[in-house]
Amino acid sequence: MKKLRFVYRTSQIFSNDITTHYFTLRCLPRQEARQKTIEMNYKLWPQAGIVTTKDNFDNFVQKGEILYPHREFGFEVSGIVQVDHSRKRTGWHPCYKYASGYTAVSTVLWAYYQAHRPDQGDELARALYLMNCLYSDFKYVQGVTDVHTTAEQAMTLGRGVCQDYAHILIALCHLDGIGARYVAGFMIGEGVTHAWVEIMCNGYWYGLDPTNNLMVDETYIKLSHGRDYNDCAVIRGSFYGSAKQEQTVSVIVEEVH
Amino acid sequence: MQNLLDNMDLVNGLMARYGVRFGIYKNGTFREQIFPFDAIPRIIPKEQFDYIERGLIQRVTALNCFLNDVYGEKRIIKDGVVAEEFVFSSSGYLSVCEGIRPVKGIYTHISGIDLVEGKDGEWYILEDNLRIPSGASYPLIARDICRRVSPETFVENNVAENRDYAALLKETMDNCNCGGINVILTPGRYNAAFFEHSYLAERTKSVLAMPGDLYVEDDIVYYKDYSGHPKKVGTIYRRLSDEFLDPMAFNPESLIGVPNIFDAFKKGNVALINAPGNGVADDKGIYYFVPKMIRYYLGEEPILKNAPTYLPFYEEDRKYVLENLGRLVIKDVAEAGGYGVVFGRDLDAEELSHMKQLIKTESRRFIAQEVIDFKDLDIIDNGEMVPRKADLRAFVLYGKEVKVWKCGLTRFSRNPDSFVVNSSQGGGFKDTWVLSR
Repeated sequence: MKKLRFVYRTSQIFSNDITTHYFTLRCLPRQEARQKTIEMNYKLWPQAGIVTTKDNFDNFVQKGEILYPHREFGFEVSGIVQVDHSRKRTGWHPCYKYASGYTAVSTVLWAYYQAHRPDQGDELARALYLMNCLYSDFKYVQGVTDVHTTAEQAMTLGRGVCQDYAHILIALCHLDGIGARYVAGFMIGEGVTHAWVEIMCNGYWYGLDPTNNLMVDETYIKLSHGRDYNDCAVIRGSFYGSAKQEQTVSVIVEEVH
Repeated sequence: MQNLLDNMDLVNGLMARYGVRFGIYKNGTFREQIFPFDAIPRIIPKEQFDYIERGLIQRVTALNCFLNDVYGEKRIIKDGVVAEEFVFSSSGYLSVCEGIRPVKGIYTHISGIDLVEGKDGEWYILEDNLRIPSGASYPLIARDICRRVSPETFVENNVAENRDYAALLKETMDNCNCGGINVILTPGRYNAAFFEHSYLAERTKSVLAMPGDLYVEDDIVYYKDYSGHPKKVGTIYRRLSDEFLDPMAFNPESLIGVPNIFDAFKKGNVALINAPGNGVADDKGIYYFVPKMIRYYLGEEPILKNAPTYLPFYEEDRKYVLENLGRLVIKDVAEAGGYGVVFGRDLDAEELSHMKQLIKTESRRFIAQEVIDFKDLDIIDNGEMVPRKADLRAFVLYGKEVKVWKCGLTRFSRNPDSFVVNSSQGGGFKDTWVLSR
């Protein structure tokens, strides 16, 4: 069991005033068997009324609106999360076995899977094998993919970031008949938000971090899970105004002794 | 009827004047064209329509049960009647709809079921359209104009009245209204069916709203009228697909949606016609399972037949499809509007082998059907009577009861060699006369 202190800050600067701004945030740590929030502070700017609910994946969702003109939007969440990795997670929905928008398979992923088909073991062993293959064949490169890049597109490029690693591993797991889902969150040592995968084996979920070729341990904090990035996007917004936006994200996670 | 046919020029002149149009996107540009009307009606005898009506009510009732089940208990999947592969990998399955029960459990308020009459005299279901089936306004206005031009034709022929469509639609909207006004929500002027949206709003005395006219506050939808005064909305007949309905719940890049409208629906504060998530039930792969649903939910034998369909997903079917590809029609489950439909007989050797490869590697993506030799209907082409392929879109409305509109949109292909009748592919339409005795 570990206690992790975190500070998570995101800010969006707009080049012109925007208004009638509706937003949805998935930026609070999940409450589930493996992790519990024991302290939390929350700030949002500019001033806005928000309502906190849960979505169909049981992620916290905060909704709000800012109807007056503004040029900056941001939030800061900080607190302490207690992570206990011995607490196993159950819960299942059949949608985790099938492709969603980002994880649809076409020729490139299909061919890759055919060439790297795990030949034995339970779901966890097979998923670890696939993760290992992916880790050696895929390069971590920033700036070549974006939030719209699908698993198939990223695999074609052969390069990408954590979101791409996660989508590809999910697609490969689906091809192998393994239930798999997308996770958004933080890990110690990573200065921004991170994404990884959970796979289902013998009734329990296991976390796999394909970007680092690691099993997820108590140094990770989960914000949300779902089928793909789209179910877990931290910010969704809709507003009036024509403006370029610049986003900065910073995450600090450290262990409390 | 001769009197009507003699006055075709007058009819077409009025159609043009009323702006009976259909928009088409081709190569990225929007073009609006007259939806060609052929004055020779399709005539359906009363007994035949009674039979079709019973079959359609049965089918839509079962499809509505299926939607309640898929987003609820999923009994039909647990019992192994419908393969989960076709449900959860369907692009029409919306996970955000899990656990939501729309007002009165109605998902399929307005269904457009496409049928064809085979040369064997049997009616076959080609497709269920449960999202935003369009087209009801065309026979409605065509009948109006024909009646004006040649009133005696309708007195002599015992044609069932079709003017009740607006009343049926209004009843359907009122039945699920959560308190407030009825609204027809159009994406706007550049939508393929804008003509229909405005026509139906006028006929049902609903407010025709553009997305910018609606807003959501505390999970309640309001319409801002011309003076800026808000009115609570109880039912929205939205002619906007799920994907674009709400940027907060679906496609975040939608510029035509209404933010948070989905939450208002989820809370039961507004009825959406049709309910979001229906795409999972009119998926081309799910079509195969509809006769099974009818037996499962209703304990009845299906009255109307499906076209014989094979799912390459099942090994036995795949073998049959690969062996008989040359005489089957292949449909890509992800495509709509007559796109992604390939007739095996039109493929050369190379294309056939490519298609076989696709069927093997992406077997979930395709369905294969026997080509139904459907009855031709006569149309007038440059003054000459010629036979053309035609189908029938019947409209089924789910209000207090499930009712079938005694009319329908008969679409025909203008190309003598084509079986594809979709208006988005340049087909024309006819009035459909259901005889009242």
